[in-house]
Formats: sequence, C-alpha cells, structure tokens
Amino acid sequence: MQLLQFTDSAFPVGTFSFSNGLETASFEGVVKDASSLEAFARSQSHQAAFSDGVAAILTHRAALLGDYENILKMDKYLMMFKMNTEARLMTTRMGKKLAELGSKLYDNEIISAWLADIRTGKTPGTYPVAQALIFVAASIDEKSLFCSHQYGVINMVLSAALRCVKVSHYDTQLILEKLSGEIEGMYEEASQMKAEDMNAFYPELDILASIHEKGNMRMFMN
Amino acid sequence: MIEQKKEMISAPEVDFSTAREMSRYLNEPKAMYVGAPGKHGYLRMGFELDKDGKSILRDLDRRHPLIVQQELYFDEGMPEMPCVYILSSGGPNVDGDRYRQDITVKKDAFAHVATGAATKLAEMKYNYSGMIQNIILEENAYLEFIPEPIIPCKHTRFISDTRLCVDKTATVVYSEIFMGGRKYYKDGELFEYDILSVCSHGERPDGEQLFREKFVIDPKVENPRNLGIMNKFDVFANVIVMTPPDKADIIYNETPVFLDYDKGLAAGITKLPGEAGLLYKVLGMEAGPVKKMVREFAGNVRLAVKNKPLPPDFPWR
Repeated sequence: MQLLQFTDSAFPVGTFSFSNGLETASFEGVVKDASSLEAFARSQSHQAAFSDGVAAILTHRAALLGDYENILKMDKYLMMFKMNTEARLMTTRMGKKLAELGSKLYDNEIISAWLADIRTGKTPGTYPVAQALIFVAASIDEKSLFCSHQYGVINMVLSAALRCVKVSHYDTQLILEKLSGEIEGMYEEASQMKAEDMNAFYPELDILASIHEKGNMRMFMN
Repeated sequence: MIEQKKEMISAPEVDFSTAREMSRYLNEPKAMYVGAPGKHGYLRMGFELDKDGKSILRDLDRRHPLIVQQELYFDEGMPEMPCVYILSSGGPNVDGDRYRQDITVKKDAFAHVATGAATKLAEMKYNYSGMIQNIILEENAYLEFIPEPIIPCKHTRFISDTRLCVDKTATVVYSEIFMGGRKYYKDGELFEYDILSVCSHGERPDGEQLFREKFVIDPKVENPRNLGIMNKFDVFANVIVMTPPDKADIIYNETPVFLDYDKGLAAGITKLPGEAGLLYKVLGMEAGPVKKMVREFAGNVRLAVKNKPLPPDFPWR
C-alpha cells in the first residue's frame, strides 16, 4: 500500500509541474506522435536509471546501515552530475518536499537530520536520495525503490504528454506498459554499479533541456 | 643503476582496472604487450610566465609516441600566446595503448593546445586504449584545449578520464569532438565501435569537487540512434568551460541554442554545478560545421575573458 502511495503521481512532491524537456521536444517537432513519445520517454528512463536510479539504490544501502555520512556523500555526488540548472532546481525542489513529507509521515532520525541539513544548506537535498530515505523508513526494499523511481520518471513524461503532445490516454498507457516492462532489466544493471559508474549520454535531451532553459516556454517548470 | 634507468624511462601509470565497463576487454594483445615502449605515451607540459612576463612552455617531458616540439606564437588574435600541437608518431591509438597527458598553466600564464590531426582509434580485438589527463590551472591562468576530432573505428574500445583542477579565477576551454565513426569508409561505419567511456570532472585546487560527467556509449546495449541520444546526428562535441561566474553569465547569454534538423546542426549551453562554469554541446552531420561552432564558441570565451578575438582556423585544418 505504501509503495503505491509513494509511486502515485498524486503524491504531493510536485511531479506534475515538470515535463523533463518534453515541452520543448514537442515544440521543436522532435516528439510529435505516440512512437516518438515512446522513444523520448525511453531515453528519459534510461538516463535516470544509471544516474538517479543508482544514487537511490546506493543511498538505500547506506540508510539501512545508518551510514549518514555516506548519504550526504551520495547527495552531493548526484548534484555534481546534474548538468543543467533546471534539473538541479527540479531535483532539489522535489527532494525537499519529499523530505518534509517524510518527516511528517515517519518519526525517523535520518530523515529529520537530513531535512535539517537541507534547510541549513549543508546538503543539496536531491529527490532520489529523499526517495531512498522514505523507502527505508517504510521498510520497502531497494528493487521496489528503483522500480518506483523509474515509474515516476516515465509517468512524469507521459502525464505531461497529455498536455503538450497529440496523444491519447490509450497511447500513454500502452507506452507505460511497454516501458515498465523494461525496468527490471535496468535494475539488474544499476544494482551492480558503484557511484563512479554512474553515467549518462543523452546529448539531444541535453540540448532540448538547454533550449527550454534559455527560452520562454513556461507551461512546465522544466 | 638499472633501477635508476628504469625510473628515468618510466611514465606514470595509466590505471583503469576499476572501470567496470572495460572489464570485458582485458586480454593481453598478441602483438606488443600493454605498457610496452611506444604503447605507453606520456606528455607533461608546464606553461608559465618568464621574467619578462612572456608566457612560455617552461616544462616539457614526453614519451613515445606522443610528440611535442616547441611552442610557437602563430595566433594572430593573441600573438603573445604560446601554441602547441600534440602529435603522435604512432598513427592511431591501437589495442592496449595507454596515454597520459599532464598540462599545467601556472599563475597568470596562458596557452593554446591542440592536436596536429584527428585522433584515430583503431579496431581492437583483445584489450582497449586508455587515456588519463590532468589539466591544472593556477590563479588567473588561461588555457584553450581544442584538439581535432576523435574518430573511432569498428570495434574500437576507448576510455578516458580527464581531471580539470582549476582555480576559481582561471579559465579553461576543454573541448572534445567525437565522430560517430568512419562515415565514408566502405559503406559507412557509424556507431560500430564496441565502447567509448569518457569521464571529465572538475575540482578546485583545495580538492572541492564541482562536477562530474561520464558517458558510457555501448552501441550494442543502447542504440545511439535513439531519440534523445544522437538521433539523426553523426558528430558530437562537448565543451567544458570553467570560468568565474561573471564571465560565464556573459558567455551564456551570448550563446545561441537551437535544434535544426534541416541544417543538420544543434547546440545547447548550460551552467555547470558548483558555479564551475559552462557546458556547451553541439550535434552535427559532419566534422567541419561542428568544429566551426566549437571554434566560434571558444572565440566568445576568449573575447569575454581576454577581450581578444580568436582568428579563423587555418584553411588546411
């Protein structure tokens, strides 16, 4: 039940206000139908899996050991990977919201300490780290965390697509079903990676994000 | 005595033993072994101001096959700038090659470093080719590192790790251009390499880590033609500019971003984490237009930081 709660797009961390660059991709004609939307969402999912997803898994392991220093290290390390301003804004805004929510849902020492450190600026407060801390507090395993995280990324893109790409609910549900089926294979890979193995090569997505960042399209924050 | 001689000819180790993505490619080549003389290149260059305030290449050490002769002052926009072309006498990087390049630009000094020709990465069967770079800039130093493109072949395996240790008052332009492959060889050879693993990370002299970017491109795992990756494009340029925030703001505002499939060109710019500077990316169909975009961008950086123009490249380049 908790897994459903945290994965639900209605979970109030603000995922609805971000499109992960889809708005620009649609405007530029890169994404224009169901098949290009599927390809776009797949690249977004892969990009997240081997950076944010790995960070979430590693933070989950550190939290299980009560290794707070390592949690801070992962938070900082992940921020060093966030190459554009909007991505940094998105991850820290959602991370802080989730930490606030987590501190209300659970009487958990690590979450409270981490939230305090976000407020004093000692740690950036990234979303995947927040997710990992909540999942540990709720005693949910790392594989479910990874799957929930990936589902969140895909669903964020598909929900935004209903507002800026000519696709139907049927299209997005079909894509969601297809891409969800690929998450388990990604977990097998991501779960074996160390922090220094985190990687991402999505230059076209990076350029779309940059066009959004410099432009004046603002239906979504990102 | 023998020990001492060994010490003299040795080059610093190039160790990628912890790189997970290369663990499949660790066989000893049947030809010359990994680390053999001629397969373990080393280059150390130190630029500094001499007593008259002229920026010179004061420190130079090298091991075959990397060659640097002397600095030349041929840049018409900045005739006081020492310019160096790195050459390799070995032709392409071959199976089991290891390279290390250390470049230091001391306080207030400045330099332009490029390669004499494209870096070709040969077909590999047993092992891989690896390169470690350390680029260190002291206070107010300035470095343009704009090498020719890197061309991977079918079954190329290449890994690089570049550490940019840059004072907060200094500026470095560090560019890399990757071709998808030998586009016009036989029927075309694009994205047929085995793996490219490219990591660049920035830090301050006190050890503060600022950013880390790592690409692992394995075309058999994820097709680079996918939307969001290279899609329709064949050439990719990545330019890291570490520079103070006031300069970064000027350059950021003046750099156009666009995606144009008809022209076959796209460009994006963003700000690096830790107020480290900028990251500029270009996608294109051919090396020429991408090189031109990178050079124009480097020209904007030079103008913002040194208030001097970057002249057009030589027509033969």
